[in-house]
Amino acid sequence: MKEELEKNPQSTISSSQVFFIHVCCALALAAGFWVAHHVYSLNLVFDPTKTLCLIWAIEFPVVILLFSCCRQKPEKCSYFTAIARGLLGLPVGALLNALGALALGAPVGLQYLEKTVNWSLLMSSFTFVPTACVYGSSWTDWHRIFACTKPNGPLEFMLCLPAHGAVIGAWFGAWPMPLDWERPWQDWPICVSYGAMAGYVVGMVGSFGLALKMHAGRKQLKAE
Amino acid sequence: MWGWWRFGKWTVLIMFLHIISILIFTKGFLLTRTELPHSSHCSDLSQSPCHSSPSSSSCWTKPAVDRLIIIVLDALRFDFVAPSSFFEEKQPWMDKLEVLQRMASENPSSAKIFKAIADPPTTSLQRLKGLTTGALPTFIDVGNSFGAPAIVEDNFINQLIQNGKRVVMMGDDTWTQLFPNHFNKSYPYPSFNVKDLNTVDNGCIEHLLPSLYQQDWDVLIAHFLGVDHAGHIHGVDSTPMIEKLEQYNAVLEKVIKELQNQSGPGKLHENSLLLVMGDHGQTLNGDHGGGSPEEVETSIFAMSFKDLPSLPSEFDSSSCEPSKNICISSIPQLDFAVTVSSLLGVPFPFGSIGRVNPELYALAVCTWNLDDDKTWNNQGQTKLEEWLQNYANVLCINSWQVKRYIDVYSASSVIGFSSEDLFHISDLYSKADENWSYTKNLSSYKHGSSNTSLPVLKRQIVAYSNFLSYVAELARSKWTEFNLKMMGTGIGIMLLSLYCHTLAIKKLNKSYGVSLLSSRDSGISFGLMLTFFMVLIRAGSLLSNSYILKEGKAANFLLATTGIMTLRYSFMKNKMLIEAAIFLLLTFIFRIAIEVGLYKQAATSQFMSSSSSWMLGISISPSLWTYMAEIVPILALIILGYFLYKSISSCCWGIPKYVIMGTILSYFLIALHWISESNILDLAHFLKGFGKNSIPRTVYAITLVQLSLLAIVPIFSKEETSNCRGSLFVKMMSILSACSSTIIILQGKQGALVALGSLLAGYCMMRLQGIEKHTVSGTAGISILGPLPVLQWSLLAVCLLFASGHWCAFDGLRYGAAFVGFDEFILIPQAILLTIDTFGFSHILSVFGLPLFVAFPSPFNQTEHKSLFPIKLFWIFMVYGLITAITATATILCVTIQRRHLMVWGLFAPKFVFDVVGLILTDLLIFVASIYYFDGVEDRIGNAKLRRLW
Repeated sequence: MKEELEKNPQSTISSSQVFFIHVCCALALAAGFWVAHHVYSLNLVFDPTKTLCLIWAIEFPVVILLFSCCRQKPEKCSYFTAIARGLLGLPVGALLNALGALALGAPVGLQYLEKTVNWSLLMSSFTFVPTACVYGSSWTDWHRIFACTKPNGPLEFMLCLPAHGAVIGAWFGAWPMPLDWERPWQDWPICVSYGAMAGYVVGMVGSFGLALKMHAGRKQLKAE
Repeated sequence: MWGWWRFGKWTVLIMFLHIISILIFTKGFLLTRTELPHSSHCSDLSQSPCHSSPSSSSCWTKPAVDRLIIIVLDALRFDFVAPSSFFEEKQPWMDKLEVLQRMASENPSSAKIFKAIADPPTTSLQRLKGLTTGALPTFIDVGNSFGAPAIVEDNFINQLIQNGKRVVMMGDDTWTQLFPNHFNKSYPYPSFNVKDLNTVDNGCIEHLLPSLYQQDWDVLIAHFLGVDHAGHIHGVDSTPMIEKLEQYNAVLEKVIKELQNQSGPGKLHENSLLLVMGDHGQTLNGDHGGGSPEEVETSIFAMSFKDLPSLPSEFDSSSCEPSKNICISSIPQLDFAVTVSSLLGVPFPFGSIGRVNPELYALAVCTWNLDDDKTWNNQGQTKLEEWLQNYANVLCINSWQVKRYIDVYSASSVIGFSSEDLFHISDLYSKADENWSYTKNLSSYKHGSSNTSLPVLKRQIVAYSNFLSYVAELARSKWTEFNLKMMGTGIGIMLLSLYCHTLAIKKLNKSYGVSLLSSRDSGISFGLMLTFFMVLIRAGSLLSNSYILKEGKAANFLLATTGIMTLRYSFMKNKMLIEAAIFLLLTFIFRIAIEVGLYKQAATSQFMSSSSSWMLGISISPSLWTYMAEIVPILALIILGYFLYKSISSCCWGIPKYVIMGTILSYFLIALHWISESNILDLAHFLKGFGKNSIPRTVYAITLVQLSLLAIVPIFSKEETSNCRGSLFVKMMSILSACSSTIIILQGKQGALVALGSLLAGYCMMRLQGIEKHTVSGTAGISILGPLPVLQWSLLAVCLLFASGHWCAFDGLRYGAAFVGFDEFILIPQAILLTIDTFGFSHILSVFGLPLFVAFPSPFNQTEHKSLFPIKLFWIFMVYGLITAITATATILCVTIQRRHLMVWGLFAPKFVFDVVGLILTDLLIFVASIYYFDGVEDRIGNAKLRRLW
């Protein structure tokens, strides 16, 4: 699989590859939950810090390894450089996500610090790390995907849609927080994390759907 | 002026519609009642047509009970007390207070269970007020002293004190708030913490039983709170609730046993009456406040320790359960105060509109011998007659007192009863009264045959009862029932006004064949959609009490969202990144300020638990904190003054310059004022001769002079408008600066910081607006204007309200602000100061600051057609007004939907009052501002000098 990906440079990426990567990411997410629940008997509601830590620790290596395969200009940039970019992107993205969350009203305080850090690392591996692996620090590509939201090709949709999905999901996930239901899951960052994961999954499904559609379109084009 | 009228008529029309709809809605929704300060006295009875009791010791009625024990179990549902056989299905929480049921079935003539019907609002405070005054308290009892809930109306506790009875209270501290100086002894416990099920109850139990042996009281009140709290936290069907009920059962068993032991002749409780009652019910979830049967139905258990014959069946309304030998009657809670007063022989509370309940009255009043046969045989017949005679006389006094109240009330209250109703009342009363003079004569012969006198007496009682029940019905419809028709009409007119608003905006868009919206081709742009979405979210959020409670945070969340969108947009255009980032930083700072405000609110609010999430774990020495708190606001003032100084030094002369100079002077005075108040510099003695009120008053005077200068001068000097003086920007700066000094001194030290923050935010938004202008600079000079910045501005205004330490409740008003510069209370100036303090940043400055979106001269709009400015200005005003109106309409709708909600009076109604006042104020300010700015916009804008300002 890896070799095959490396042979296909640029943003041409087949829908089966898109499917494979997305399924792997989703499986990693599920694996994180499974390990937390069955191995450490942790739960997002009762111990959000450790659970989030486990989930991102399982999720982000998978993301880095997979997306580094799709790196742009593979002739100039080795696989390990791409991994290094992803590793570097993780804390930077976490910082940006944390700042955004704080601006929107995430609680400030030392007792929330650990939760916020772990949550933003998870968000970073959803949003920032894949693009960092693929494009590195190429400003124009970042600008095109995230500022203008004009991705082209299945690869860029694969980067753009899940990331946006995660952010928008987290935004909606914050809604129940002020309600007076007094449920434990209303605390920061539990429902926001659930929202983000749900948005991420929806984004992945959307990106896969688009990849299928584009593939069909291209086939049609070829046929004509 | 003609030019203004062209668009200005819309603002007038919309304002008119808003005022009409709000007036109509409020009349249907906010039930108001005037509190009368009068109270009843013993001597008043000589004015009535009734017998005064023969013995000199008694007052209005002959006392039937010497000592009264009232045990209030908060939120006691009717089915907690009544036997489960009265209900279709037996639930786990039923039959737990079995001692009461046993007593009622063993001695049906001396102990009885009543179903007590409370009147909404079923909140403890309102119910206690209703129980003791015998009236129907509403949300707004006019005359209510702000803040302190102490009852000013006549009530039966007050009557007890006046007539020398001694009252002991234990339990819920609401009683001591309502009656601060009435109790001989009180053992109050805090009712604040809903999660604490035991403190109040244990305190009650601790003092209740020993008190029963003491002689130093006549009336004992014990208020247990556990059931209410258990309901709020766990719901009715829960183990804590059942445990609570079992605990109460044990306590009541002990109390009844003690009382029975002491009830022998000559003993302490020979003539005592025990009342175990709830103040209101609760739903299965433990909510109360509304008018649903579950909330309204509570119970009274009454027990006297004498053996009494039962009532004649005409007055017995009870429904019986033959298998268990228990009868249950129904009694409106309204009747409680007057019945208890009549039993204790004290004058009835002045404002009571209840009726002396025959069944409760009969439990304690006996005029016949105890050894009599209980059937109404021949001898009993005369006893019965005697009893009826007595009761008729009590009802006579009762009716006379109610009639007196109705007369005084309708004479003194502006919004009294309708004349038809009053006529009907007098008619009923005079009929009953005519009868009475006949009945009285009949009874004075005494030896008339009982066969004739009995029906006459009964007829008399029926006549009085008719009168009393008619009055109670009328009062209920006026004070407890929402007028849905009026509310509906109000909402209808409000929706109509929204339609007019959108129509006006459409007209504005079309009037020059130019679309001002950023929708050149598609019709609906992303910005417009986002605005709609945000407004919808905000409107929908008002449906939930939690979001109203945290409205500041919710608004800030939306503001930050728009801020992030703007940041993204400026990334897209690669422009004004710093401004967008500063704007986001400012929203973060406002958010911290809002959380500090929430923290303050939690300390007083009954709905919020205090959370200290914002507390940073940083420990700075307290002296440094105080030092910072003194210095930073003054620094902020200096910066503000510097900005203003810069703005005049670069341009204009004449009036605006003098105005801004005046503001800088005011800032200097304010700084001096703060320094003199603080202890850092020992300036206090230096300024002593000056007087501490003179500085604020000077600031007010400067503001007044500035405003009048700004208002008057353009009228006289129209012809000499030069480019610079007439420019919109200078006009805006001068009026903002003129208003700001007063607002800052009223808000205190935080005011300067908030002012600086809003200035910076306004500047950033103005610059960010420039991005959009740039994007279409090529297309024939049409500058586009999205609704998003206007929405952002209005969200910012909401945030400012909360960030400056206010919230939408009456305890959120900063009463201290009313006394800046004044020592004693004078209503009108203080009301004005309070309004300026509350709405200063969020409404006054926001509306006057709106032109910043068009006023700022960007290099790209030089080519713009001049005639577009008035339209653009009006467009902005209209959109801002529309956003405010939509929010207010949403509040009105949500209040209507939630009118039976537990917190309707605690949260929704204050929010409604705030929004409605804010809406009318916004309309008024838009009207004033559009007139004020209109002169300016006809002149040329875009002076090159202005660009140097920033």
